[in-house]
Amino acid sequence: MSTPNHNDAAPWSADSVNRREFLVRLGITGALIAGSGLAARKLWQPKHFVPGFEKVKGAQLRSYAPEISKVLPSLAIAHGTDHEKTIRAAMAALGGMDRFIQNGDVVMIKPNVAFDRPPALAATTHPDALRAVAKLCFEAGASKVVVADNPINSPTGCFLKSGLTAVASEMNLDLLYPETNSFAPLSLDGEVLKEWTFFNTPFKKATKVIGLAPCKDHNLCHASMTTKNWYGLLGGRRNQFHQYIHSIVSDFALMMKPTLVILDGMNVLMSNGPTGGRLSDVKPMNTIVAGTDMIAVDAYGYSHLLERDIAELTYLHKAQDRGLGNINWQDTLYKEVQA
Amino acid sequence: MASEKKSGTGNRREFVRTRVPLAERISSIVIVILMVAIGIAIAIKGRHFNPDIFAVRTDSLKSTTAAVEGKAGTAPSSPEATAENPAPAEAPKSVAEKPAVAADASAEGGAEGSGDAPKPAVKGEPLEIALAGIKPMSDTEFYNSDNLFEKIDGRAPAYQNFNVQTLRCRSFNVTAAAGSYVDVYEYRFDSPVDAFGMFALERDPKGGPLDFAPDGYSGEMGYFFRQGTVYVQIIASDVKPETIALAKAIAQNRAKELPVDDSGLAGRRKLPAAGMIADSVSFVPENAQGQAAFKDVFQAKYNFNGSELPFFIMVTQPDDAVKAWKSFQDFCARFGKVDNLPDVNSGKIFSAQVFGKWKVVYQRAGELGGVFDAADETNAQAFVEKYLRGEIK
Repeated sequence: MSTPNHNDAAPWSADSVNRREFLVRLGITGALIAGSGLAARKLWQPKHFVPGFEKVKGAQLRSYAPEISKVLPSLAIAHGTDHEKTIRAAMAALGGMDRFIQNGDVVMIKPNVAFDRPPALAATTHPDALRAVAKLCFEAGASKVVVADNPINSPTGCFLKSGLTAVASEMNLDLLYPETNSFAPLSLDGEVLKEWTFFNTPFKKATKVIGLAPCKDHNLCHASMTTKNWYGLLGGRRNQFHQYIHSIVSDFALMMKPTLVILDGMNVLMSNGPTGGRLSDVKPMNTIVAGTDMIAVDAYGYSHLLERDIAELTYLHKAQDRGLGNINWQDTLYKEVQA
Repeated sequence: MASEKKSGTGNRREFVRTRVPLAERISSIVIVILMVAIGIAIAIKGRHFNPDIFAVRTDSLKSTTAAVEGKAGTAPSSPEATAENPAPAEAPKSVAEKPAVAADASAEGGAEGSGDAPKPAVKGEPLEIALAGIKPMSDTEFYNSDNLFEKIDGRAPAYQNFNVQTLRCRSFNVTAAAGSYVDVYEYRFDSPVDAFGMFALERDPKGGPLDFAPDGYSGEMGYFFRQGTVYVQIIASDVKPETIALAKAIAQNRAKELPVDDSGLAGRRKLPAAGMIADSVSFVPENAQGQAAFKDVFQAKYNFNGSELPFFIMVTQPDDAVKAWKSFQDFCARFGKVDNLPDVNSGKIFSAQVFGKWKVVYQRAGELGGVFDAADETNAQAFVEKYLRGEIK
């Protein structure tokens, strides 16, 4: 077999490619690569990488917290049988409502009205508690009191059946229901809460914010108290956070810096929460806890009102670990009084 | 070789290239390396999703904000309405009908309006109750297992654990008591056993028995019972006599209307009522007493002669009952001491002391049961014998 003559078979084989032709080919290949790169860069949309996803920069809620006092208590525990007297006693122990509310303030009260349950079942903020707090705000000089929540059930039904509509009407409070345009993006550097929609209308004019929550059992996170109460400000498919329930609840201590929180432990939903449904689930504990540190308030509520081991309430520990509150309420400046 | 290939290619010139210049080889390798590097970079980027960059655009979730029929209908639409002076029943519209309530859907769904949101997916037969003295406050609301959280939020997983299928609920004004109302909830499960399971989980230990529903009790503010596959909750807004009377009438109406189905609950029916400790009934679907053969077992605790006795019953085919009884006897013999006791009323009985606790177990036809984990044998044996003689009912 003879060696094939490549020059005969392929006149444009390697041997026949001259330098000029090689450079031309190289140039064309390079131009194609560069063109592809430029086209890819032109077509690349980093903020629209996945349809339906994009970066949204929302607002951050400002702090409504009062200045820290080295003299006055940051936590007050009042025992009594009458809502108004007990709330008054708790506020007096904290230094009076005028420590927190000044003349002309627009106060937003955030109750927990998640469900359309009657007040006796203790699944929602009690109307007597709202009445007492609103009265104290007006006495301290508030020009307006706004009551707002974004309930699980129909807002009108929840406010009506919980008895808060009647109190709002009686006390001339502004009742804000969530409407289509009531929501705005919120930005937070939370453990799970980063960018989300929240019920922002109530905050547009509010100068002070008070959280007023019932103390109750919760099927998913053990307890719903003043920290979990802020869940009601979120919009959207917020139930998806249930799988990170302790993380999201601890994020609320970062999201909200309220003027004051009040935990209503007059009647505590001890079991079958958060909805309840039976009076047998409810236990009278005749206690109101008020304070500026929601983690400390909830720590007291969990151990003394729900009568459970604080070690198991993960979200409080998460919040404390991030420096968002003090779970050791006994170490804070507190005062316990009898109404 | 070359000549053979050439002959097969017709007029086409054969491309034979045996020498590739070094520069071309290098540039080819560079291109391949670049392509691999790009591929790796894409893979790494894809594996590390950054929610800070790719946050959810809530607009895109519009399609998921299906409104729930009747959800907004639980209250008057007029702002001046109060519980004492509710608006007429026909005033509220359902979510699907009323644009303003798109805000509710928005609140739940986060979408800014829901004009093009799909129609409600959950529908059913409206809850109509033909009773004098009540007036519907709203449309009937319907939920399924997937959107139950929209009604009961964090409580929903407890119901889902028992395979809840639907919730139908509606509120009714009590015409004789201004401002009072009664809420009716009908949770439908996949089986009577699961309905019973959820009912038992939430049972009020202080509840009084109902004469119109065997699996039921009355509380201070409501009536709760299981009938067929439905767990019914009738909750009054207050304890006014008129409200409670209407709540009871509604409960009786529902017990009459809902079909009776006790499939799988034969064991529950056989648990004696005398001496039963309230709130102690439980259902173990599988592996009761650690025995693979013990399925669909009902258990309860009893006060008997000053001691507390756990008692269980399983109802199955007679052959299976015999096998399970024998298998349990063998199990006890491996870990303790077993004695066969004299038959009582056609029931075979053995007693066993295992790990310091007593078990007295009987088998009669398709029924297997007995006392377990008792502190003393005498009481356990006496209880089982009395039960078999029909002296404890």
